[in-house]
Amino acid sequence: MNEVPGCRGAFTLTPRPPNLSFVSFVKAQVTRVSELPRRVFLLVMLGGAALITRTSLEYFDFEAMPPFALEKMPLRFEAFWFASLRVHVASALLAFPLCLLLMTRGLQRRPALHRLLGRMAGILVLVGIVPSGAVLAFEAKGGAVVTAGFLLSGAIVGWFMVQGVLAARRRELVSHRRAMQHVVGQMSVAVTSRALMIAFDMAGMIPERAYVIALWLPVVASFVVVELLSRRSVVSLRLPLRSSERMRREVSLLAVFVPRRPVAASVRRFGR
Amino acid sequence: VKSPYWLCSSLVVLSLLPSAASAGEPTLLEWAKRRVQDGLVKPLANQSGRRFSRERPPPAERRVRVTRETATSDSKGGKFLTFAIDVRYGTDWQEDDVVGCVYAGTGSLFVKNGDEYRPAAFLLGKKADPVAGVCEAAPPARS
Repeated sequence: MNEVPGCRGAFTLTPRPPNLSFVSFVKAQVTRVSELPRRVFLLVMLGGAALITRTSLEYFDFEAMPPFALEKMPLRFEAFWFASLRVHVASALLAFPLCLLLMTRGLQRRPALHRLLGRMAGILVLVGIVPSGAVLAFEAKGGAVVTAGFLLSGAIVGWFMVQGVLAARRRELVSHRRAMQHVVGQMSVAVTSRALMIAFDMAGMIPERAYVIALWLPVVASFVVVELLSRRSVVSLRLPLRSSERMRREVSLLAVFVPRRPVAASVRRFGR
Repeated sequence: VKSPYWLCSSLVVLSLLPSAASAGEPTLLEWAKRRVQDGLVKPLANQSGRRFSRERPPPAERRVRVTRETATSDSKGGKFLTFAIDVRYGTDWQEDDVVGCVYAGTGSLFVKNGDEYRPAAFLLGKKADPVAGVCEAAPPARS
């Protein structure tokens, strides 16, 4: 027994059931451990989303002037900017946790629910977050460099959300997953950039420089990490053991990796 | 013989009396500095903490400078002094982070936002519209 009492959960190794062979048991544990970074990422992001929600609620107090808005004043189109801010925040507060939930295996095993929630997230992102974010980007502090950073992040989110939806409609689930990982990766910038800003402030960096670095670094890093992960997962899927394990868990992936041939053609070849 | 000596001494002593009386009271400059400190810097320091937000983190330190040492009259006759608040991040001081004025009679504080002046409560998160004519010197009277 390798379990700590009271710590049973997603991160503890489970005892081997008597009817499971040792090799299968080890394989299952390796799979669990390899899932650990993903689970930690999702939990950290959910925690970050909760913190952002707590600090963002003040944007809906119409009598107050939140410090973030205060820094932008005077604005050329104040009412339009505030409307965009509220649309952006409200959409993101719903869409980000929703996208994180959609990344969980539990929801991926329920295709109907995954599809329904995915559509909701897609609408929130494409109608709410991306257009309002583009408006806010032009008033971002830090000038053109920061504006470009926000626009790039928004473009990645918008592009990959559309690509992801199209891939899902074509049943290309590997492409769908890669695209949605990019969407979540860029959404995670909301958390990582805030965390970096706090870290840079604690290190004594001037806020203007910290703001630029804390934006660009996570935007680029998230893109690179997702690309590396998607390549690695494609390679690992070619390995027969991992592939069969994944296929067992995500039956829908069968359509991607099992070549579809016309029955008549194969019979014809057989006849030669 | 002694009378001119005593007269001069008395004049010297009398001339020193007003300054001795005013030594206990702050000068206008000191008063303005304290007013900005109490009315703006302290509330800002109490209000701001590090939050999980994109807003600028609170500075390590703020200091007040009264930028014009003599009071200026605005178009309504109110006398004001202008001030600036500098902020420190790390070891770097950023000057004129906040610029504004304090009125000598009422102690009212105004801060500059863009080209306009708003009540200082604006910086503390309250919606406050710009006030026309404040913190602006009255045009010189034509003779």
